[in-house]
Amino acid sequence: MTDILELKNVTKDYRGVYAVKSVDFTLKKGEIHALLGENGAGKSTLTKIIAGAVAPSSGEMLIDGAPTSFAAPKDALAAGIVMVYQENSLVPALTVAQNIYVGRERFYNRLRGINIAAQQLMQSLNFNVDPTATVATLGAAQKQMVEIARAVSQNARVVIFDEPTATLTPEEKHHFFGLMRRLKQSGVAIIFISHALEEALNYADRITVLRDGEMVTNGRTDAFDRDSIIRAMVGRTLSKDIYGTAAEERSIRKPGKKVLSVSNLSMANLVKSNSFSVFGGQVTGIFGLIGSGRTETAKIIAGVLKRDFFHGGEVHFHDQSVRYITPQPAVRDGIVYVTEDRKLEGFFEAMSIGENIGMGDQAINGGPLSVYSMVRVRRLAGEWIKSLNIRAINEDAKVIELSGGNQQKVVIAKSLVQHPKLIIFDEPTRGVDVGAIVEIHNFINSLADAGLAVVVISSYLPEILAISDRVLVMRNGRIVEEFDGETTTEEKIMYAAVH
Amino acid sequence: MSDKQTIKHRGAKGEFHFAYDDLHQPADDGVDMKIHQELIVFIIWAISFVALSVALPNFFTEGNLISLLRSVSVLGILAIGMAIVVIGRGIDLAMVATMAVSVAGAIVLLQQGYSIPVALLAGFVFAVLVGTVSGILIAYVEIPALFATLAMGLFIYGVGRFGFFNQDIVLIPPEGGSLSWLGAGRVFGIPVSILFLLLFAGLVALFLRYARIGRFIHAIGDNPSTARITGLPVRKLYVLSYILSSTIAYCAGIITATGVGSMNTRIVNSTMLYDVILVVVIGGISLSGGKGGVRNVLVGTLLIGTLLNAMTIMDIQYTVQNVIKSMILLIAIIVDSLLNPRDEQTAQQGDI
Repeated sequence: MTDILELKNVTKDYRGVYAVKSVDFTLKKGEIHALLGENGAGKSTLTKIIAGAVAPSSGEMLIDGAPTSFAAPKDALAAGIVMVYQENSLVPALTVAQNIYVGRERFYNRLRGINIAAQQLMQSLNFNVDPTATVATLGAAQKQMVEIARAVSQNARVVIFDEPTATLTPEEKHHFFGLMRRLKQSGVAIIFISHALEEALNYADRITVLRDGEMVTNGRTDAFDRDSIIRAMVGRTLSKDIYGTAAEERSIRKPGKKVLSVSNLSMANLVKSNSFSVFGGQVTGIFGLIGSGRTETAKIIAGVLKRDFFHGGEVHFHDQSVRYITPQPAVRDGIVYVTEDRKLEGFFEAMSIGENIGMGDQAINGGPLSVYSMVRVRRLAGEWIKSLNIRAINEDAKVIELSGGNQQKVVIAKSLVQHPKLIIFDEPTRGVDVGAIVEIHNFINSLADAGLAVVVISSYLPEILAISDRVLVMRNGRIVEEFDGETTTEEKIMYAAVH
Repeated sequence: MSDKQTIKHRGAKGEFHFAYDDLHQPADDGVDMKIHQELIVFIIWAISFVALSVALPNFFTEGNLISLLRSVSVLGILAIGMAIVVIGRGIDLAMVATMAVSVAGAIVLLQQGYSIPVALLAGFVFAVLVGTVSGILIAYVEIPALFATLAMGLFIYGVGRFGFFNQDIVLIPPEGGSLSWLGAGRVFGIPVSILFLLLFAGLVALFLRYARIGRFIHAIGDNPSTARITGLPVRKLYVLSYILSSTIAYCAGIITATGVGSMNTRIVNSTMLYDVILVVVIGGISLSGGKGGVRNVLVGTLLIGTLLNAMTIMDIQYTVQNVIKSMILLIAIIVDSLLNPRDEQTAQQGDI
């Protein structure tokens, strides 16, 4: 088989920080190639480079042996490379046929004409979808078929699927891989990104594993098994340096009083019958891949989201059954949630550091007619800026002007000023500079030492290992495994998290 | 060495991180920029004021200056009410209708022989009710403010025209004569309506700056999601802001009606609402919420009042005046969107 696509030494960096580093990658005609790795390993960036959505910083891309570079996705499309994104890009109000030909209509667009063409296309692919049906009425698998048909109708030679099976039921998955085989038989090369190792082992011809932007290993599928893939995905040597030492120096805290107990929590299909407990005086780490329902679970507990009305499960906080419909009563009861997306829902951008912290305080103190005390706010701001080491000219600096680390500290201060009993950090060090990561971790530890119940959600294994006394692993909307923070390893956690 | 490696790690983990930094070009918009717009408007006002004083012989006279201020006092009061809502990232298009219908209703009660306090209280209760319903539609039913208040304005005008009064102009009966002091009286030669403008400006400025609830309104306008997670009663605050704008509209209506002895409900169909928005936006209160205060409204009122007055003195046709006003409003909104770009990440669908 010949190489249809070859990447040589491809690198993509964002201001000196590597998303993809010196990756070599080959794709043969008519093969199914699985691309595996943790969240943020560089899989998406790599496929976006291939599909022309991201321009590489350096390196070479060969198509049929000829050097090529794409300025935009449409150049890649012209070369026969089609990317099917995770969220499908179909227009719900249009019919299947219209969706297949959307953007490529003739000036006079005859519906009958495209219906017939779509019908023929569907038949040639052996797909059972009515071309005149409205896309909104289709199921997830059928939508996927339409996406594939669209790719084929664009004369695709390379099709890239980003997590194609994440939203499919087992039956639909089975069907999807049938489709993939048929595509393969017609000579199309397929790259698919997946978190599900079994899929890769069962259906792929070759496997490439990425880690931290670098290609770790690749080879024919029969050279791998589940364990060797997991080892390749997590096997870091580097991360031990800053996270590992911290982990080794500390001792595991014993669980205190049970603060939170969740049973059979359910919300739509994101959180499914989730049960666990959180204890005071220790850090409970929750690890899970993206889409495993970690954030949703945390937000339900903090009243940001609502669980299902029927069969939504139970949440007990300090032995009291609670059901919050807004965060306000949760905050007053002492549950605070520190968001993973601070710009979207973490801080007030037009307000100063002091005012942000003041808002946290005022939210729980004072009545409807009370005066907003500048003196009180300044005092609180001064205290928290000092104890969290927020680096800014003064407390009047706008939060939006601060670095990621300092912004995060402001968000944390705004939450801590509310004297929580249970604090949930969602990705506390995302987009935070190195120095601040260590400071924030130390701070989280000191909170647990002071007796608070602390939950840290992270999709970064070294972080989980460095600060958790107890590790809960989430998969498919529920906690599936619990580990002791002292004895567990990255491999064990990853094994539980993937499916 | 560990530092370097860690940077690589974090990078690998987060394109997010860098997307962040790209968005966060050290931004000194926010307050600085806003002060700029306020200052620019103030300077434009000062220049045009001096120029008009020199150019128009009748402009810089005590009589004209007082009539200038008096003519904009109601506009200014309405704009202060609108500012509260706009700072909370909303808009109240029902203000003028609320003002006309609640006051006309109160006058009709006077005509039917009810006492002054009863009539005034009834109008006030009606205004509170209108604000509450608008607020509930926006905060709880989650209809975009633009549509909810537009519909509300049409609805109450229709109800008023159908149920409360059957002429466009509702005359205050002689028994209500004692009220005329509110709109037409003078204290030390200064029209009472101007004093009311200053009173409302002072009260609302104190409210927005020093009341806990006033700061909360800034917070929900700045970022409603953050406000919610922080534990602020976001929905109640929305309702409150519309109640405030409605009641302030009612007060402005009382001053208008008592000044001329009648309430001309046809102002609902006039350009008054757009003048109010013009004043708010031109003063530098961003339609994206969270920024600005009463000072901005006063600056905007001064500029618009001066322009309207000068155009009247110059005897410019009413229709041409509207063209000029609309041009100024367009430019102000464009400048606002340039100075206070709404961030895609924090923008909420549905509102302005």
